[in-house]
Order: sequence, then structure tokens, then C-alpha cells
Amino acid sequence: MPPSIELEVRALTKRYSPQVSVGPISFEVQEGEFFSLLGPSGCGKTTTLRCIAGFETLTEGSIRLHGERLDDKPPHRRDVGLVFQNYALFPHLTVFDNVAFGLRLRRLGKAEIGDRVSRVLQLVDLAGMATRFPAQLSGGQQQRVAIARSLVLEPRILMFDEPLSNLDFKLRIQMREELRNLQRRLGKTSIYVTHDQTEALALSDRIAVLSHGRIEQIGTPAEIYEHPASAFVAEFIGSSNMLRGRIVERSEAGTIVATATGLRLHCRPEPEGEVETAEVSILLRPERILVEAPGGRAMPGQNRVSARIADVTYLGEDLHLSLDLVGGERLRASVKNSNAARGWAPSQSVELVVDAADLRLLRR
Amino acid sequence: MRAQVPRPLLPFVVAVYFGLLAPLVVVIAVSFGPSAVFEFPPRGVTLHWFEAFFASSAFVTAFFRVSLVVALLAAALATVLGTSAALGLVRFRFFGREAVETFFLAPLLVPEILLGAALYLFYARLAIQASIWTLLCGHLVICTPYVIRSVTAGLVGLDPRLEEAAMSLGATRVQAFFKVTLPLLRSSLVSGAIFAFIISFSDINLALFLSGPQSTSLPVHIFSQIQWQGDPTIAAASSMQIVIIGLLILVVQRIFRLRLVV
Amino acid sequence: MDHGGARPIWAFLTGPYALFLFVLLLVPFANIAMYSLHPYSPTKVFLPELTFDNYRKIFDLYYVRLFGRTLRLGLITTAVCAVLGYPLAYCLARARPRWQAVGLFLLIMPLMVSAVIRVFGWIVILGRKGLLNQALLGLGLEPVKLLYSETAVVIGLVNIFVPFMVLPIMASIERISPSLEEAAQNLGASWYRMFGRVILPLSLPGLISGCLLVYSLSISAFVTPALMGNSRERLVGQQIYDEVLVSFNWPGAASLSLTLVLVTAALMFGALFATRRAGRREKAS
Repeated sequence: MPPSIELEVRALTKRYSPQVSVGPISFEVQEGEFFSLLGPSGCGKTTTLRCIAGFETLTEGSIRLHGERLDDKPPHRRDVGLVFQNYALFPHLTVFDNVAFGLRLRRLGKAEIGDRVSRVLQLVDLAGMATRFPAQLSGGQQQRVAIARSLVLEPRILMFDEPLSNLDFKLRIQMREELRNLQRRLGKTSIYVTHDQTEALALSDRIAVLSHGRIEQIGTPAEIYEHPASAFVAEFIGSSNMLRGRIVERSEAGTIVATATGLRLHCRPEPEGEVETAEVSILLRPERILVEAPGGRAMPGQNRVSARIADVTYLGEDLHLSLDLVGGERLRASVKNSNAARGWAPSQSVELVVDAADLRLLRR
Repeated sequence: MRAQVPRPLLPFVVAVYFGLLAPLVVVIAVSFGPSAVFEFPPRGVTLHWFEAFFASSAFVTAFFRVSLVVALLAAALATVLGTSAALGLVRFRFFGREAVETFFLAPLLVPEILLGAALYLFYARLAIQASIWTLLCGHLVICTPYVIRSVTAGLVGLDPRLEEAAMSLGATRVQAFFKVTLPLLRSSLVSGAIFAFIISFSDINLALFLSGPQSTSLPVHIFSQIQWQGDPTIAAASSMQIVIIGLLILVVQRIFRLRLVV
Repeated sequence: MDHGGARPIWAFLTGPYALFLFVLLLVPFANIAMYSLHPYSPTKVFLPELTFDNYRKIFDLYYVRLFGRTLRLGLITTAVCAVLGYPLAYCLARARPRWQAVGLFLLIMPLMVSAVIRVFGWIVILGRKGLLNQALLGLGLEPVKLLYSETAVVIGLVNIFVPFMVLPIMASIERISPSLEEAAQNLGASWYRMFGRVILPLSLPGLISGCLLVYSLSISAFVTPALMGNSRERLVGQQIYDEVLVSFNWPGAASLSLTLVLVTAALMFGALFATRRAGRREKAS
């Protein structure tokens, strides 16, 4: 049975002023899915989140939770949990009282409250901390209390507003993994707002990339990375090389693109209509460039381009090479640190091998 | 305003403001009304009572020769006294500093009428006649703490290394103070001075005890007029005070963007 | 800057005001203390013997009633100020900067205008032929006699002291992050329940501060009860004024004053203590 739709956002629009508005935004989140809203600051992801939580009212559009209209309910009657960026723990209450806050509002019995709170504290690995105050906890612990506080109410969906941005680097990676394990274990539908694409890629089942109040693309991490729908998505996710060219030939064997500098590249066969115009941007991921000594032969479905190394950056695990093409373009290649690779040095001539399948054509 | 505020809250708050400001609005309205009996809304607009105010030597003396003079002097002297005291407190460490600071702010804790009574009895024992000077001294007691608080706050926010930088460039301590610190303290000084002026100008509790025949301040004169059932000239005097003080507060708030802490 | 050695500059800076306060604050109060220990004499104001009679008389029925009335009205005034002031403080704390500036101006401005003027306005409103009665008559209702009663005094005091309640509470609420309010609502609390469980406990220091401040100001008020109350139901402030300037019972006035000072000082220190504790607690949030 296909998973049901837990949350449906349709044409959500929030107008702050004639010039500043977010939307229309539409997307669906499936049951048990980990769904991320990803984008730079000001793209509208936090506004969307706050609209779902009820702290902003929609100018237009609708939000439905499990089929029922959500946006006409006041924020304290929506069955969505929200984990705030600064955790928003009540400083005058203990960890136990913080987590029990929502349960007490629903007038549950003392025994049941005690039971549920201790269970959820176990779940987030804070079993012994019930009597501490938020000020006595570390950042990571505070965040777990915030999660526990929302989880204990068993909401339909759990939302996270950039929860890891206040943590230092190593802690962030650790919490990220814990979060993913928790979500997988509980199967709780989750919406995650972040500006960090690594986080989004690592955590999500699906990602919605936003920019300037609109959704640029929705897809799985692989789809977004391998097949970005626009130049913005291509450049926001991962690193990229972008060349400009025009389509000069289309056939079943493949498409040929030519740049102004005379480069001719073989690309995958594009289904008709995917890129309508002849003017295109060509996306090439740095890790897809094979760097070889000159003198090799191009196989079918492969491009071979001469280049000169301009700069080598040693990063331990990888080497980043700055390459100048004959026509003057500058490309970046990322190669693994191998014995051969360590031999590369600036001003050496090399040949770049690029599979046709690794060149992606985007609208200009 | 953010978040969901319950609907009855805003009207309630507006009603409270209405209640707070009603007496002032009424006073101003009455001062422009034509009749000798207090009436609202006034039937017409007239400056009759303002003319009466300027015609009454008692009112004019109280306003210009007592209240205004004392307030200006109080503002100036309180600023000098208070700034020097604040400097001593903030920039120096000495034994008992916190106790001295509490002592300096103690007048804020004393009920004003008690201070008035105490000063009255004190002057009486020393057989000192009531005059502008006795009133001024009384006002200095209650005004200076405000200057101290204002200048202290300004000093605390000032980087002491600025003075040190000036001295490393050749200035003496005194020169550094006058050329660097003082200009940067300008807004604290002015707001403290304005505050001192307002406190002195509108003081009634001290003035009731310290006024004499030649040194009746405006609020005291208004007080006695109210008791003896005066006419709307009182309203005219009051309106003028409201406008003056309102403007001064506006200046402090807008130009110096300071939040007045009482 | 550490000094205090050869040239105690701090002494020159703080000395003038310290001396000034000593002469004009400490000495007068010592003087009062001294007066309070001498018996009253209608002809010579006071006699050279020492006595505790002035303090003993405070336990006379008249004075017990006087203090009782004063403390009671102070309590009522404080309670009304708290009820009226809390919502105001909340709205001001959460208002956008421009509105907050306007709101603060409208709040503080009446404070700075002399109390007499506001009392005058109230007299115009509450008088026998005043605004309120004109309005009531216009609506076909009976006129009321509010002026020169305890009710009028409370109205006047509340009007003057509400800002003193609002400002500390507002400062307290401003230190509470708005995300706490949103978190509480997200967890299921309506605005009212959120206010009771989050805002109220966290702004308690501000409330305590405001209450102590308003209370100590109310019990030592003079102008408002003098002009809006009546002589029979007078408050301590009126009694002191009377004994100093009318009956010249300076010893009696002295003992009353000192009693009042002690009560007020205790309250003010309580308020200071509460705000200091708040500062320490809020470091946790």
C-alpha cells in the first residue's frame, strides 16, 4: 500500500508587503518521511515552517494535515511539534517539567505523565537528567530535551528549525546521526529546515530547495545532486563547474554542445523538450573529472579535453586542482589523494576525461 | 506585535492609557474653554485664561522667578555634582565604593514629603528663612541621583582605553577627560540635566514644605489655588507645564534615543 | 584604573556630593530622630526632656486607624495597579520599536508632570458638576459623589503610580525570549495558559519590584489624598504635613516620619533584592 500523505501544502503564499512575499509554495510530505526545506537565508523556508506551526497566517493557499484543514486552527490546537533553533526551554522548569509541560496542559494523570516522560527521556538518552535545570545542561543535551518535549506529545509531524546550527562542528555531525537514527526508529514524519546542504543530503528522504520564496526543485538527495533542475540548485548543492554553450546537434546517440571558445562536448541524449532553448549551461561536478597525462585516446561516450594545471590545493583526503582550458575557461577538479595524483603540479599539461553522462545541461 | 495576543487585550490596554491620560487632556481642554466653571467639552476656544495667567503676578512670579530659575540652577548644579560623583564612582576603586554608591542613590528611596519635612525642621532649627536657595538645596538632593545614574550608565559603556589612547598621544589626564570623555558623555549629561530640570520644575512634595512668601513655586501655587477653589487660570498654568515637560521628554527620547528609567 | 594612593582623586570627585548629602540628608534625619525623642509642647514646640511618648502614641486608636487606613489603601492601590499594569507591560514589551517608543512616552509623560496637575484634572472629572456626572446625567443616570472619598484617592493614586508598576514588569518581560511563548503555544497552551505558566513565573521579580515600589510610594503620598480625599479619612502623609506646618507638633511629626521611613526603606530594599535575584536567575535563560 503506498504511504499516505501526511501534510499537504497548496499554493502557500505569505505577503509581507507588495515587494516582499513568499510563495506560492506547494509540496506534500508522506507519512514517515524525513522532508527537508533547504535554501539560503531569506528563501522562505522559515516562513513556511512558521505558517505550518501557526505563528504566521497565510495570505493565500491552504495547509492540510492528514486531509484536515490546518491553517484555520490557532497554534495551540495544531498537532505539530516544533523544535526551535534556540531550543526555547523554560528556564524556570526542570527537565522533567519541561517535557511534561504539554502533558500537564492536557490534564493527564500524574502516573501517566511520569511514565511517558521517563520513557521519552530514555529514548533521547537523558534518563538521569530529569531533575536538572536547562542552564545546567550542555547544548546537545538541551536540544535533546527540546526534542523530547515535543515527542512526548506524539504529534503527527515533528518540525525542526535549524536545530544544529548552534552546535560546534563535531557535535553537529554526532547529533545529525542521532537525529536520523531516532527518526528512522520512530518512523515519525519530520520536516527539517536548514541552510546547510550537507545536513539536508545526509538526513532527508526528500528535499525541497527554495530560493527567493519559491521552490526550485523537490527530489531525493540523489535526484537533486545528480539532476539539478536549475543552475541555482546545481550551484547551491555541492560544488560545480558551469560552462556556457549552445546545442549544435541532437541525435539518438547524444547531444553535442559547443562553447564560444570552440570546445565541442558530447553529452547524454536529452529527451526532446527537456531543454528547449539552444543556449544552455553545462554542469560538471568536480569529482567527475578524470585527470590523466596527455596522450590518451577518447573512447565513445567520453570527452577528452586538454588543460593546464594552474594550482593544486592539498586537503589531505582530496586534492583540488585548478585547471585552465585552452579557451580560457577555469575548471575545478577534485581527485582522491593517490600516489599518481600527488605528482600533479602547477603548469603541467594534462588531459581531462569526462563521461558524456556526467555532463548535465541546464536552462540558461 | 507578534504572536497571538488574545483579542480583549489590546482594547483593555487602550482603555488603561485613556484613563492615564484623561486628566491631562481634560486640563488642556479646560484651559482653552470660555467659562469660569469647569466644563468639558468646552464651548469655545479662547486664550482668556492664558491672558489671566500672565496678568496674575502670583502665577508669573511662581513660574518665571521661582520654578524656572530653581529648575535651571538645579539642572546645572546637579549635573556638575552628579557627573563628578559618577566619575569618582566608576573610574576609581576604593574601599567602601559600593556603600558610597548606595548612599548617593539613597535620596531615591526616601519618600519626598518626609524629606521635605526633615529639611523644613532642619532649616527651622538653624533659623534659616525659606528662599529660593533653600528650595534649590532641597531639589539638588532629589535631582542629583538621576544625573549620577545617567552618567554612570554612560561611563560604564565608555571604553576607558580611549582616554589612555589620548594620553599616549600626549594629553594629560585632565585634557584627555575634557577632550575625549566629556564629549562622548554628552548624551548622558544632557539627558541627566533635562531629567533634573523636570524633577525640579514639577516637584510639589518638597516645595510644599520649603516654599516661602517670595519663593512659591508653580506647583505649590497651583496647589493652594485648587484648595481655595480657583478658576481655570490653574488650567492654563498646568497646560503650559504639560507642554514644556512633554517637549523636553520628547527631546530626550528622540534626539538621544534614551529610554528613561525611573 | 586603580588608585587610592598618594593623590586620592576619587575623594575630590565624590567628596562634594558626599558632603552635600551628609549636610542635607543625614543631618536633617538625625535632627528628626532627635525631635522624636522630646515631648511636644504647644507653646515651645518641644521641651528638653527625653521621652518615648511620641512613639507610644502611635499605638493610640487614632494613629492605629490612620496607619491601618494608609496601609489598606496602599494595598488596594498596588493591587489595582498590578491588574491594570501587567497587560500594559506585556504589550509594551512585545510591541514593535516605534509603538514601544510612543507607548513609553505616553506612559512617562504624565509621571513627569506635577502630581497637582493630574489631581486637578481628576477634580474636574469627578467633581459634583464634573465631567463624569455630566456624562451620567446625559445618559439619564443619577450623578455620583466620588470626590473627597477614599475611592477618589485610590483613583488618583492608581493614575499616578501605574507607570511605576509597568516599567519594572516590562523590563522583566523583555528578558523573556518570544520563542518561549511560541514553544508553549506549540505545546498546546492557549495564550492565557501560556501567560500563567511561562510569563508570570519568569516576570515575577519585575512584579514584586513594581508592587513594592508602588506600595511604598502610595503609603507616603500626600498631594493626592490631600486634594482628593477628606480630612476625616486622612492618610499618614496628610497627618505629617498637618503636624509640621499646622499644629507645629514637630516631635509627633518626627516619630511618624521615622516610622514611615523605616517601613518604606524595608520595602525598597526588598525591591532592590528582588531585582538583583532576578538578574542572577535570568543568566540561566
